[in-house]
Amino acid sequence: MKLLTGFKLAWFGLWSNRFRVLFAMMGVVIGMFAVIVLSAIAIGVKDTMMKQMGGLGAEQILVIPGRVLDTTSGQKDLLSGLTSVPSTLTYEDAKAVEEVENVRSVTPQLETVSFVQWGEGEGTQRLQAAVVGSTDQYARVQHAELAEGRFFTKEEQEKKAKVIVLGSNIHDGLLGKEQVPEESRDGGTPEAEPKPWWQRLLGTVTGQASAEEKAESLVGKDVMIGETSYRVIGVLAPNATLGSSTDNNVVMPIETALVQTDMKNLTKMVVEAESTAVIDQVDVDVFSAIKENHQEIDFSVVKQDQMLEALDRVTSILQVMLAGITLTALVISGTGIMNVMVMSVRERTREIGIRKALGATTFEVMVQFFFETVLLCLLGGVIGLGLGYAFVEVWNANVSIFSLVLPMWAVKLALYSSVVVGTLFGIYPALKAARMNPSKALRFE
Amino acid sequence: MIELREAKKWFRSGGEKVPVLRGVNLRVEQGEYVAIMGKSGSGKSTLLNLLGTLDTLDGGEYELAGKAVHKMSKRKRAALRNKEIGFVFQHFHLIPNLSVYHNVMLPLTYSKRRWSKKRERVMDLLEQVGLAHKKRQKPSRLSGGEKQRVAIARALVNEPGLILADEPTGSLDEETTESVLHLLDRVHKDGATILVITHDMEVAKRAERILFLKNGVLEEWSDEAAYRV
Repeated sequence: MKLLTGFKLAWFGLWSNRFRVLFAMMGVVIGMFAVIVLSAIAIGVKDTMMKQMGGLGAEQILVIPGRVLDTTSGQKDLLSGLTSVPSTLTYEDAKAVEEVENVRSVTPQLETVSFVQWGEGEGTQRLQAAVVGSTDQYARVQHAELAEGRFFTKEEQEKKAKVIVLGSNIHDGLLGKEQVPEESRDGGTPEAEPKPWWQRLLGTVTGQASAEEKAESLVGKDVMIGETSYRVIGVLAPNATLGSSTDNNVVMPIETALVQTDMKNLTKMVVEAESTAVIDQVDVDVFSAIKENHQEIDFSVVKQDQMLEALDRVTSILQVMLAGITLTALVISGTGIMNVMVMSVRERTREIGIRKALGATTFEVMVQFFFETVLLCLLGGVIGLGLGYAFVEVWNANVSIFSLVLPMWAVKLALYSSVVVGTLFGIYPALKAARMNPSKALRFE
Repeated sequence: MIELREAKKWFRSGGEKVPVLRGVNLRVEQGEYVAIMGKSGSGKSTLLNLLGTLDTLDGGEYELAGKAVHKMSKRKRAALRNKEIGFVFQHFHLIPNLSVYHNVMLPLTYSKRRWSKKRERVMDLLEQVGLAHKKRQKPSRLSGGEKQRVAIARALVNEPGLILADEPTGSLDEETTESVLHLLDRVHKDGATILVITHDMEVAKRAERILFLKNGVLEEWSDEAAYRV
């Protein structure tokens, strides 16, 4: 008997018992679905974080408060070696770094929390926001795009102009968009179709519930931060993401922030070198320049590769977890399949006897039942993969907090795993079927 | 065609050997129609399993179509079974999940011979047993007589030289018994060797020769044997 015939018989066997097959397959389907979705989440999280940190650029250096201790191998231990101390970094440090040779730009940032207010009387909206003081390079460094208006210029920064750029959540919140019911909107625009519950839920999760539903804008208007009035010159596009988002920020020129608020110490400083060729020297020089202003080393200078290395260690934990889940899913689904197949062999004892009486050899019976298990697992794997893929697509179409990534290796892994499961767990039932004595099998009740 | 010499078979029960066949000698020529009778538990089915190569001898020799079956490997016995033997069982032994058509097709699946027109062969046999119109039906939708006719079609599909029938009418009523026996008569007339195991004298009478299995050995038919049956 050719293997193809064995495959045909196996397919026929599965089709003939399709309802039982469907139930037997559920274990593999769920297992593979879990593997696919968890892989996509783990890789998605890793990619998002890598992009955020990698977005810093290979020629950029991050200066942060606190001391990053070295590991025994002499590397910076960003995971557990970061000492928590109040920031002593100042704008003067940033100015000093600007003087360092081969430094192209310095983007200092300071942050505080304050109430932002807009409107008068009963319509007044008052929100808590993260007020950030930075330079005109902020948007570039944060990878923040403008939804409308513009970012402040270097001149405005130097003139200590009272201008601000709002994060999308703050902008929408001040306009009271989330509170305004659909019916009370002005104008004759046709009502949008109501969103299904899951889109509303996802919208809530991602904070994009109604960003596009209002045409009103605060650009050109004045809002209050504390007792001071600021002119809104731009609104940042939503960039809800893992870790750092600008959606709840209000950004103003750092010179303005130093004068108008009580912020004095920087939360971080992004230094850009002329090229990657000089990055190591700039790293040393930046450290020396800041150290001159400090009595002790209470700050850290970290290069991109050091951060990526730390992140890689974090994500390796995710990968180990993923491998564990995959293995567990495979063992559980495999055991389930084997159980079902052993039951199936027992139930089909007489059928096996008939097949043998009609001339099927031990090998042919074994091939049939073996391929049945492999096909069952492969089919379950493909369905699980399809469902996982659909989940990833639906997620990516509706959730912007981070994207799920389904690489080809995960697809291959799922398919190969299902074949491996079928192969490993299909051997025993197949041997059990093949070894049956035909005369006894025919008498089986 | 069939030659059994001093065939022995025993089973183990409670650690002891219980002999079932104590030295059976049987010779059946090509094209013969033989019936084997015997009481329940006399070893009729054991003998049929041995003749059908479904089981192996514990002693003696067995030749089928000139080949020494007792020396064959499992694989060769399976091939011989597929090529030379067609089975008709009392309980039909059709595979419930397969259609009538696929049940009849099954022996061809395991055949080493190259069949150029498998479909036509199956359909021709279904026509002959009068069930071509029910080819898509599952066995559960057929009557007992119809099931046995499907089983006979399946037994004939590989053009075997020997048909082994174990109580072929044991589960049928009188009317369908006659139609099934008539079908076996036709198969015999076409040249097949038929060996029927039965305890029904009406079935045995259709055969050219009747043998009686008693105390693990085969005896030629006699009045005394008839009395015992």
